Amino acid sequence: MNFSNRYIVLFAATLCLALSLVVSTIAVSLKETQDANKLLDKRTMVLRVAGLIEREDQPTPEEIATYFENIETVVVDTNTGNLMVFDPETMKIDPRKDAKAKGLNKKTEGNWAKKAAIKTIAEKQLIYLIRTPGKECVAFPIYGNGLWSTLYGFLCLKPELDEVVGIIYYEQKETAGLGGEVENPRWLAHWPGKKGLTAEGELLVEVVKNGKVVDETTQVDGISGSTITSVAVTFMLEFWFSDQAYGKALGNIRQAISGGTNE
Amino acid sequence: MSNSKKILIDPLHINNPITLQVLGICSALAVTTKLEIAFVMAGALTFVMTSSNVIISLLRNKIPPSIRIITQLAVIASLVIIADQVLAAFVYQASKQLSVFVGLIITNCIVMGRAEAFAMANPPGPSAIDGLGNSLGYSLILIVVAFFRELFGSGNIMGFEIMPTVNNGGWYNPNGIMVLSPGAFFIIGFIIWIQRWISPSMQEETN
Amino acid sequence: MKFLRKQLDKIAPNFEKGGKLEKWYPLYEAADSFMYTPGHSSKAGAHVRDGIDMKRLMMTVVIALIPATLMAFWNTGLQELRAIGTDTPGMIESILAGAWHFLPVYITTLAVGGLIEAIFAIVRKHEINEGFLVTSLLFPLILPPDIPLWQVGLGIAFGVLVGKEIFGGTGFNVLNPALTGRIFLFFAYPGQISGDNVWIANREGWTDGVSGTTALAQFYNGVAPEALTAPTGEVLTWWDYFIGWAPGSMGETSTLACLIGAAFLILSKVGSWRIMLSMFLGMVLTTLLFNAVAVNDYMRVGWQWHLVTGGFTFGMVFMATDPVSAASTNTGRWIYGFMIGALTVLVRVFNPAYPEGVMLAIIFMNVFAPTIDYYVVKANIKRREQRLELQ
Repeated sequence: MNFSNRYIVLFAATLCLALSLVVSTIAVSLKETQDANKLLDKRTMVLRVAGLIEREDQPTPEEIATYFENIETVVVDTNTGNLMVFDPETMKIDPRKDAKAKGLNKKTEGNWAKKAAIKTIAEKQLIYLIRTPGKECVAFPIYGNGLWSTLYGFLCLKPELDEVVGIIYYEQKETAGLGGEVENPRWLAHWPGKKGLTAEGELLVEVVKNGKVVDETTQVDGISGSTITSVAVTFMLEFWFSDQAYGKALGNIRQAISGGTNE
Repeated sequence: MSNSKKILIDPLHINNPITLQVLGICSALAVTTKLEIAFVMAGALTFVMTSSNVIISLLRNKIPPSIRIITQLAVIASLVIIADQVLAAFVYQASKQLSVFVGLIITNCIVMGRAEAFAMANPPGPSAIDGLGNSLGYSLILIVVAFFRELFGSGNIMGFEIMPTVNNGGWYNPNGIMVLSPGAFFIIGFIIWIQRWISPSMQEETN
Repeated sequence: MKFLRKQLDKIAPNFEKGGKLEKWYPLYEAADSFMYTPGHSSKAGAHVRDGIDMKRLMMTVVIALIPATLMAFWNTGLQELRAIGTDTPGMIESILAGAWHFLPVYITTLAVGGLIEAIFAIVRKHEINEGFLVTSLLFPLILPPDIPLWQVGLGIAFGVLVGKEIFGGTGFNVLNPALTGRIFLFFAYPGQISGDNVWIANREGWTDGVSGTTALAQFYNGVAPEALTAPTGEVLTWWDYFIGWAPGSMGETSTLACLIGAAFLILSKVGSWRIMLSMFLGMVLTTLLFNAVAVNDYMRVGWQWHLVTGGFTFGMVFMATDPVSAASTNTGRWIYGFMIGALTVLVRVFNPAYPEGVMLAIIFMNVFAPTIDYYVVKANIKRREQRLELQ
């Protein structure tokens, strides 16, 4: 078979046009569902860490929407400590992406940042104020490096921020069976009820080496056989509640959650 | 008819793309820690391979030989993007765990291998069967590997607890190698060993 | 003795070709040649060489392992008795306590590994190999005393299957079977084979806060060599580690016992001194390099400490020198040994998850050994061709 050059160019052009049309139509028409999925996934984590649903429960989109009528997403400016109500229509904030975007991120300093291996974070972070009557609390996203990977999760504190409601990790690639147990609900169950932050914003709760718990009110027993992952949890908490991240906003957050009004 | 049966059945055992041709190994290692994920991956690959074989076969007399590889690539890449987008929209949890590996179907040598070796020279009917057969051969290995990895690595099947693990208060001590990629290597190795023991015709000649 | 020979001869026809139990000949042969010298001799051509065969080779290694095995008994018992509060346990008392932990592991290894060997011997119609005697003794020696027996069985089964049989049996194996088994356990069940709590047997009855942290783990936490402590809190000296009075895998702790074995292996020309020496040099030079550019405490640890801690000497004497899986050209042996020594230190100092690097380094170089040999031989051919002006 012999094909003229003209045929070849024409064939290539037609093929590309046809394929790109098909692909882009499908991608655009599915975009909305995909974004909704992402949001629902994140919201499920918030509901779990706040103890509104059981850890294993997979709520339906309607249930999530009902719960979120009482949950407020708030933007924290890590530089000033100011809070702003998050409006998904007008604001484009994705802290995980923004951490690497010039203009939206900032360099971190200090010992804890180094230990948690966090070089830059987004200037604006998103937190969740849960106003469900009787279950009021605040969910803070946290992340930091463990032994092999970055651990992503949430820490949830009582409105006075002085007591832990719960902690959850939803993404990590630590050693399965050892560091990977950081996701295990049995280990996470050690956390609720531990002391959170002092009035001055000093973090009390910490993970200690397995079997070395002295003070039950503040110390969490580390995961057996994985000291590095266990300590990493302390490091990232220390970092996220330092002045680098949520530290400056703590006073405002206490006020906002106990203020009680649903804007 | 026996011919199309042969096209369909051969890739399952005698001419299996993974264990005989040793293609598609990287995804077989990466996405087989859980059975459910392996099923999703198998489905995605079956879709991509069958449709790419049919499309390439329909176009086979129109594709200029000088740009045939890039044409196959463009078709397969588009199908992969479609598969990826659909998964992200409808089975979000699974697509999150598959992460880049759906996208990497494009680098899966089986797909292009079948397009070039079979679909370019055969009508759409047999090409569809060939694509289906090879995807099933791939899926079969993927599912067997994932079955053993999930069972021994986390004591579960399809997420249901079969052997309660020590960390969850049971008796089973999960095998960490099964969760790591080398675990898949070992299982595939054992499958190859058993296959060649059953069908000595698969063994290479020794010098 | 005559009686035994007679009995064996009496049942022999059953196992020979055409006999009832023909299939089971390997079992008969193993039993027979275990007790008597094999009766067959070469039939063709003149063979001017030493009368050494596989059996004598393997027995030499077993004899070389005796000091390390004795120390395994003694130290395992000693560590346990000390941990539960005996101040100065006697030698006999310790050896008995140690035997209580070592023997079950050894018997499990023999039973499970031996069974697999026997099955393959029967299926493949060859004789049971004496090589397994060495593997089955090496394997318990490199395990922690606290290991559950089901893991011992699983480990040796994996080692024999994947380390040896899959490649065609003794002589064809790329990897050292005992090490393969241990690596399998190391990655499959890290909780039971690494960490602080596995190096001393029978931890019940321990006082709180006592942990059997090994020297390597202490180094990683920035403890200086002079400040290394035993589980009971007292400081351990370099001599303690050299003799072997420290927690660790059962047979690995005593550098002295390994060196006695090394001397025996070298004198009997069974173990390659090139591999041992080059591995030692590789370790020393890499450590000196790290010492010179040290930025953390572990990099400052001297080579004499790397020698006596962990399983370095044991790996150097008994594992790296395994004639089947090591390089087999002399130049290749130098490269092979040196790389193991260097990699060991590299893994120890820079990897937070794997405190001990010897086993990983040896297996890694096992894989490379054929490639090294290939290039050494090729270089040699090239040199000769040039000498003969063929090129």
